[in-house]
Amino acid sequence: MRPILNLFSLLILFPVISFCQTTISGRITDAKNQPVAGANVTIKDSYDGASADANGAYKFSTSDEGDVIIVASMVGFTSAEKRLHLSGGEVVVNFNLKEASNELNTVTITAGVFEASDEKKMVILSPLDIVTTASAVGDIYGALQTLPGAQPTQEQEGLFVRGGDASEAKTLIDGMLVANPYFSSVPDVPQRGRFSPFLFKGTNFSTGGYSAQYGQAMSSVLVLESEDLPPRSMGNIALMTVGGGGGYTKRWENTSLGANATYINLTPYFAMNKQNRDWDAPPQSFSGSLVFRQKTSETGMLKAFMNYQYSDLSLNYPNIDDVTNNSKMHFGLNNYNIFSMLSYKEVLDKKWTLNLAGSYSKDLSRVRPSPQSLVFSNQLWQARGSVSHTLGELSVIRAGAEVQYNPFSNLYNNHRLDSTELYSAVFLEGDAYITRKLVARAGLRVENSYLLRASNIAPRLSVAYKLGKYDQLNFAYGDFYQTPDRNYLIQTNLDHFEKATHYILNYQYVDEKRTFRIEGYYKLYQNLVRTSNPVSNPYQPVLAEDSKGKGYARGVDVFWRDKKTLKYTDYWISYSYIDAKRSTLYYYSEELQPTFTSNHIVNVVWKRWFPKLRSSFGFTYAYASGRPYFNPNKVDESNILSDRTRDYHNLSITANYLTTIYKYFTVVSLTVGNVAGFDNVFTYNYSSDGLRRNAIGPTSKRTIFLGVFINIGRDDDTE
Amino acid sequence: MKKYLVLLLFITTSGFAQENKKFEKAMEKNLTLLKDAKTGDDYTNAANAFERIAKAETKEWLPSYYEAFALILSANDVSDAAKKDAVLDKAMEVAKAAEAISPDNSEIVTLQSWITSMKISVDPMNRGQKLGMEASVLTSRAIELDPENPRPYLLQGTGLFYTPEQFGGGKDKAQKVLEKAVEKFNSFKPKNKLMPNWGKERAMSLLEECKK
Repeated sequence: MRPILNLFSLLILFPVISFCQTTISGRITDAKNQPVAGANVTIKDSYDGASADANGAYKFSTSDEGDVIIVASMVGFTSAEKRLHLSGGEVVVNFNLKEASNELNTVTITAGVFEASDEKKMVILSPLDIVTTASAVGDIYGALQTLPGAQPTQEQEGLFVRGGDASEAKTLIDGMLVANPYFSSVPDVPQRGRFSPFLFKGTNFSTGGYSAQYGQAMSSVLVLESEDLPPRSMGNIALMTVGGGGGYTKRWENTSLGANATYINLTPYFAMNKQNRDWDAPPQSFSGSLVFRQKTSETGMLKAFMNYQYSDLSLNYPNIDDVTNNSKMHFGLNNYNIFSMLSYKEVLDKKWTLNLAGSYSKDLSRVRPSPQSLVFSNQLWQARGSVSHTLGELSVIRAGAEVQYNPFSNLYNNHRLDSTELYSAVFLEGDAYITRKLVARAGLRVENSYLLRASNIAPRLSVAYKLGKYDQLNFAYGDFYQTPDRNYLIQTNLDHFEKATHYILNYQYVDEKRTFRIEGYYKLYQNLVRTSNPVSNPYQPVLAEDSKGKGYARGVDVFWRDKKTLKYTDYWISYSYIDAKRSTLYYYSEELQPTFTSNHIVNVVWKRWFPKLRSSFGFTYAYASGRPYFNPNKVDESNILSDRTRDYHNLSITANYLTTIYKYFTVVSLTVGNVAGFDNVFTYNYSSDGLRRNAIGPTSKRTIFLGVFINIGRDDDTE
Repeated sequence: MKKYLVLLLFITTSGFAQENKKFEKAMEKNLTLLKDAKTGDDYTNAANAFERIAKAETKEWLPSYYEAFALILSANDVSDAAKKDAVLDKAMEVAKAAEAISPDNSEIVTLQSWITSMKISVDPMNRGQKLGMEASVLTSRAIELDPENPRPYLLQGTGLFYTPEQFGGGKDKAQKVLEKAVEKFNSFKPKNKLMPNWGKERAMSLLEECKK
């Protein structure tokens, strides 16, 4: 018994003794048969394995037996598995790993798109670029005007893109249309955008050919994505030559709530910097905002945003018809604006994303051009829902619907005109990755307008092909419909959407140091609203005659950016050539170049960081060839709108100095606009008899801005 | 009978002991590999070894912890910005997996803060502000979770040392924090020989630099 017991116990006590060792070896290579050094080869659920060396070769022994699975993995590659039966001896198992999809090997849609994002690498701009561009002074639209395709304008607000007027460019925040993104119009005075660029983590500026997700903009959409949860609680104070403000955001585990208020008054600034306008009450404005974020799950986020603004100003315009130069025309404006929105995003099941958003906004302007008084009121309710689904590794399908309910009214003295628009749209779009190098985005958008009593179907297509690691070719085509300006709809029965058809082709090269981009486009306009007179003033009622206007815009945009060649220097140069004409005057069948378009535009933006001085310096130079202006002495078919203003030049400089005040991180910023003092003229105002005229230039020869921005709640808890 | 019972008991417990011993042995072996590592490839080897253990032992956080640790050190040798980012992203993924097994763990949060700081170096101009804040929030949390852990103080001190004075950093501030770190290193006792115990030499040598 004893010897048997001993043997038995031996066998039971040491069950792990196995006399079967298998040696596994092989090579790990990639699609080009190059070795994948450092790859991890292992037997599933076992410690046994080895790393591939510089030649991609690996070798290890295991005492496992029977059926096993061998896995090879490496950062940047998709893991591969093979089944194996181990029964001792030597086995050779080779693996060929496929690169995982990343920005360098996968094509993206870029036609007509300028994206600024921190999250992606191969983008042309970063959100910081927008904030620090010299001429911008923290105004998003000022910064966008330095990109190719955008026209620099200094007598009216808005984005004028590729031969299109300001109404053809729309601003969206988290999918919601911002009905009044700029402060209210003041004749011959440009207004800034209402929102601070610091609110946004992503900016997608499209100059044409954009996705079926958006509509109602014949030239461009600016898609802004708001910031998520701030990393911690923080406060900020802003002290500027134009006013001041501050705010505080509190961060809890999954929630944040922030409030911000700003008061602007230009009286002291006007006293110091001579103005070319006769101000009566210089502009002042007050704004307050609330930002709320709630992380609802690992992947879900609820955002609420509310912005309230009040502004007023008044000035006097010379009455050009009064020869004795005595009387003035008075213009006063006060404006209330509220914009509020709620959005929710959630990822379900890893492959489905849901986006829901709703907003309410109201804008009320009281205008007092003597001797009349006008009240413009505009409300917008919006709801939008969209869903996207990932198919396979990269392809995506998106669908959504939106509704806008827009009651508006204009009161001209005691004569009231009001109306309500109900706009609805659905879209369906897919990004089909035929290979990693070739993607086709095809979409369809269907819209309906209650006031027009019409619907439209807009196809969109974009195809991109990746030529190499850093460059690609992109083509886009699409129909873009837009409801005519509501001030026209309120008075005339129009029943057509205005329409632009885009054809775009671009070549783009982006690496870590440099960007080169060249894009050619052709836009065909149809069903444009024709008016009896050229529009000169947003508050002057102009009658729409019909929707038979036509036009085209074609050109080439070139962009070059270099961030690394010169030490600590970042610069970009953009050039645009535009040839645009449209027939929007009822009594002329001829197509004419619009007054807001220059044929040649050049922008040079330069920034240099001086580490020892803790400062950055930059300049922006903008050039635009002369723009057409309306001369009442030339109204024949042969010479209407044939005059050109002189060429536009503007050199602006900016300096930023980084320091600390009481251990709080501070930026001191100085910007001088038109430092060289060019005398620019944007258009002319003529007397009724056409014999005299006033040149309309910028509101002051130079602009000066000085601001101190303090960041509170920095890393001072170093006990 | 008693003899067989004892035998049975011995067999079953030795089975468990076998498992534990296997884990301990493998961890110790690889910790030595980690300690001796010098080049980026050495650190990758160590990371892979810990990954194999981690995938087999899904209830242990230490293998993932050390895998992330080794990945961070291997990233120092990577010159290509995109590849460096990819390695650091994997390190964060692995650190998060460790966190899922052992939440509210000061050592893991310290590692996450370190990874976040390292990601700044890939694109300092654009990432400096945002990630700088995130890293310091994580360090504060790590200190909160275990006030006796010296490693968050080492990270904080290192950050201050390399941050210019105008941004709130500088040698003086770094020195204060590193002195505290060294103090804590001297009194720190790891629970067992597998638990994290690195950083003392680094803290001491950096402190010397501050005093210069």
